[in-house]
Amino acid sequence: MPYAERTDPAEGVVTEPLPTYDLMNELALLDPERVRFSADEYDELYLCIDAGEPQGPLTVQRAFPVSEADEFLSLKDADDAEVGVIRRLDQLDAASRTAIEEQLQWSYFACTITAIHSIEVKYHVPHWDVETDRGPRVFQYGSRRDIRVLPRGRVLIRDADGNGYEIPDVSRLDAASQAIVEVYI
Amino acid sequence: MPIDVDDTNDELLEDLPASIDGRLQRLLAPGETIELAMASDIRADGSFGDTWLVGTNQRLLAIDPADTSSEPLALDLRDVLSIELRDFEGSGALHARTSEHGVTLARFSRTFMPKFSQTPRHLEQLVRRQQPERAAEDRIARGGADMQAGARRRCDRCNRVIPRRFGLCPACLETRKLLVRLLSYAKPYWALGTLSLVLMIVATTIGLSPPLLMGSLFDDVLAPTAAGSDLRPLLDEYDGYTRLAILVFALLAIFVSNNVMGAVRRYVLAWLGQHVTFDLRNEVYRHLNTLSLSFYNERETGRVMASITQDVSRLQDFISDGLQEVIRDVLTIVIICAILFWQDASLAALVLLPTPLLVFTTLHFGGRLQRTYRSLWRRWAGISALLADTIPGVRVVKAFSQESREVGKFERRSEELLGGELRAARLQSLFSPIMAFITRIGTLVIWLVGGSRVLDGELSLGAFVVFTGYMWQFYGPVEGLCRLNHRFQRAATSAERVFETLDSQPDVRDVPDAATMPRVVGRVEFDNVTFAYDDTTPVLEHIELVVEPGEMIGLAGHSGAGKSTLINLICRFYDVTDGAIRIDGRDIRDVELKSLRDQIGIVLQDPFLFNGTVGDNIAYGKPGASLDEIVAAARAAHAHDFLMNLPQGYDTVVGERGTRLSGGERQRVSIARAILRDPRILILDEATSSVDTETEVKIQEALERLIRGRTTFAIAHRLSTLRHANRLLILDKGQIAEVGTHDELLEVDGVYARLCRMQSELTQRKVW
Repeated sequence: MPYAERTDPAEGVVTEPLPTYDLMNELALLDPERVRFSADEYDELYLCIDAGEPQGPLTVQRAFPVSEADEFLSLKDADDAEVGVIRRLDQLDAASRTAIEEQLQWSYFACTITAIHSIEVKYHVPHWDVETDRGPRVFQYGSRRDIRVLPRGRVLIRDADGNGYEIPDVSRLDAASQAIVEVYI
Repeated sequence: MPIDVDDTNDELLEDLPASIDGRLQRLLAPGETIELAMASDIRADGSFGDTWLVGTNQRLLAIDPADTSSEPLALDLRDVLSIELRDFEGSGALHARTSEHGVTLARFSRTFMPKFSQTPRHLEQLVRRQQPERAAEDRIARGGADMQAGARRRCDRCNRVIPRRFGLCPACLETRKLLVRLLSYAKPYWALGTLSLVLMIVATTIGLSPPLLMGSLFDDVLAPTAAGSDLRPLLDEYDGYTRLAILVFALLAIFVSNNVMGAVRRYVLAWLGQHVTFDLRNEVYRHLNTLSLSFYNERETGRVMASITQDVSRLQDFISDGLQEVIRDVLTIVIICAILFWQDASLAALVLLPTPLLVFTTLHFGGRLQRTYRSLWRRWAGISALLADTIPGVRVVKAFSQESREVGKFERRSEELLGGELRAARLQSLFSPIMAFITRIGTLVIWLVGGSRVLDGELSLGAFVVFTGYMWQFYGPVEGLCRLNHRFQRAATSAERVFETLDSQPDVRDVPDAATMPRVVGRVEFDNVTFAYDDTTPVLEHIELVVEPGEMIGLAGHSGAGKSTLINLICRFYDVTDGAIRIDGRDIRDVELKSLRDQIGIVLQDPFLFNGTVGDNIAYGKPGASLDEIVAAARAAHAHDFLMNLPQGYDTVVGERGTRLSGGERQRVSIARAILRDPRILILDEATSSVDTETEVKIQEALERLIRGRTTFAIAHRLSTLRHANRLLILDKGQIAEVGTHDELLEVDGVYARLCRMQSELTQRKVW
């Protein structure tokens, strides 16, 4: 049978576990040294490998948009086929990084809630009146599932229309906002 | 030589009644001894009545005590080919076959089914002794499937039917014993318990003093009598206003101290109750996690969950409130009685006159109300069940245009509910006035008798007021005590369920000083493995197989052939009944469970995902896995692409049981989960049954890489899934039917070849 046997001076014939397939072969990672990203004048993303022909336009998707936003970024071509994966954004050169961040800013558009003016429940729907880093906003959501409470006071909200909001740390909001939001998270 | 019997069934030789015994002794040949005698309850003509099955070392006899005219049926053991337990609706029968004919040895109602479930195997032993030439594989005993499986129907102790709702025998509840055991959980907190008890006694006593002060207010202050109240000696030296001030101040002090003590006591009690529940809840959950699968198979999930969610909280109610309330009620009643009798014994006797009436009414109405509410609850449940049935089935209802029928069904149930609700309302509206009236009777008596005594000058106004005051405080505790039994019963039921869980021992557990399983090479050896759930019919019999390291074994066979059971045994979810399973030469019962299971990766047909992110689910078997490992495993299982198309990627929350993913998606996530553990033994139980053909081909390719170097067991109904298997193991009715490569088995032209032909025919037909 095809399994590893070796002869040990002390123990005689010893069988050892067979080598298994290395899972890491599966990671189709792009070599950060060899790739350059750029955006054209229409804000579309292109990839050059070893100064070859630019491939694109590409879209970027995060594998871990919530927990590790800047790791494992998947690049897809117009046919939705994966071109490659960036292991970590900070491995890239500055220009490439800017080009990708520009894309991400729009494909993961969300705002950060900085203060909460009020939350009123009308007909079982909470109406939030908040201040965000992008300006004041009023929004509603339809189900408790739309609000996701993560460790360390982080809260993600998707409103009824599909817009995203984030509270990075509830305990760092002002006291009044905290008192308002407490019941909902 | 007696039959070998396991200790669960030691009733092979039941006491024969004298009438039969006499007959039997005449029938027996010299040297013939009775080995087995069992009563059954249906006679040959179908009427109920005792009949006896007697097994000797030479014959099987069926004897009907009532039928003395004909010869009993006798069957020579040497002629017996097989003995079968037949499982009918409402009855069962023990049937024997010879080469020429079949004979029914005994018929019995299903009540006797558990008793007879082992009989074929016992009789087999008798037969084998007379037919030593019979080969071991030649089965004699048949039937007797899963007689004990499922919930226990009857109590082991008293054989009474167990109400489903309880899950245990109410008649065997030893209320007092259970409650004492329950109190032992409060032991660590005995100081606090004593504190709250003392507080309660003091508070209750003080709380009972206001009517005395009121009496004094009349007799010593407002309308002072010569004798004065019992408090007069304390007030003698003061004038009216000072006396008034003292009484007011005393009342104030009583109110304040009573409330303060009440608040402290409530918190202390709550603290105590919550801590006891906390301990108990955690202990129950910890224990549940150590229990083997067989425990869960025997019980409904809801029942197991209820023992943590409901039962434990009910116990808290009992520990913190119930017990102390009882003490308080008794104390209150005793003190009030004492004061009243001390004040005026004859009047006190009159005042207490309505008490029996009160007790009777409370018990009577309480019982009726409870029954009514229970039936109401059942009717509500019926309506919910109806809705749960028809609303999801609305397409069928509409397709067959049965709306009016469904509406009619609902209206009938709804009407029943209305009737029940009205009856409850009637009872409820009767109950309160009757209770109020009974308590008022006491007042009437005091007014009439007490009032006339006041007029006669026999009773002071103050004493009159004292009586009225205490009367109102008297009836509450009496009512409370009437409900006591119900409350204790409920607590005892909950306690029993909780303790039943705590007292269950895991069937599969580490032997003392079990060794750690070293890194597995992968040689898996089945040494004459036999396994039966619940000791009845074996699901696997005499499995002999050696699997070499790195080999992939494809398991195929009909449903119920024992494929999944085989896998359960490798994981040691159950222990083999007979024989042994060895991995790298070590019996898996001798190694630490955790070290064994840590090296096994398993993908189930209906993979269970936990509510959390996909990433967390993939890393479930390897906490702390790096992102690289998670993504690599997902890619290997072809889950990466569909995950990346979810807006939140690997951070997507899968929902309870993973329901927000499709079946095929769940399977791919669970393949990633299994593979990330880098298991030495990989088990694929229909791992790709829910994915589409294209994805299956991709996963198969991936699996080819992933199984390299690991011993793999794969179950599949679609035989094409098993084409990478080194060998195929075909199980049939719990036994190995064929083993070999695909080509070898086709050559043999047996079960496997037939299955293959059928499947290719099926696909051809589908194409057409």
